Amino acid sequence: MVIILEYFMIFLIVLMIALALFAIKTKDLLSAVIASGFISLVASIVYLYLQAPDVAMTEAAIGAGITTLIFVVAVRKTKGREK
Amino acid sequence: MSSILIIVLSLVSLATLLATIRIIQGPTIPDRAVGLDTATTITTAMIVLFSQIFHRAIYLDIALVYAVLAFLGVIAISRYLEGGM
Repeated sequence: MVIILEYFMIFLIVLMIALALFAIKTKDLLSAVIASGFISLVASIVYLYLQAPDVAMTEAAIGAGITTLIFVVAVRKTKGREK
Repeated sequence: MSSILIIVLSLVSLATLLATIRIIQGPTIPDRAVGLDTATTITTAMIVLFSQIFHRAIYLDIALVYAVLAFLGVIAISRYLEGGM
């Protein structure tokens, strides 16, 4: 059962790497914000697997909720595209 | 317990993979916003699943905080797309 969970975590971390590469490569800023929101969402799951529920709760509240909102407000003040 | 766990983890992995594919190759921004919303729901279910696996009731509180606060990000993106923010 533990080995199944380890494979599941490896799968999630590979997804995080793919999303991080997408957030670097894309020219659209809002897409990068959405990808980084999903990265912090998956990081919260990984913290939960590592037996740190307080860190997971902080990551879920700040990383996924507030950071996405602040980044969207910041993107609104730009043109929204990278040159 | 173990075979049920394998089935549920496979289904959750498949759902996460599909949401990730939609976020990465979605042609427009609303596709990606809906993908993020789907991923939020899947993640909440995943946290409840971990609470069941590790036999810790405290993990359910994280699911509660997550379900309330991840909603804010999707609402902000939707308001931005609508042009009202």
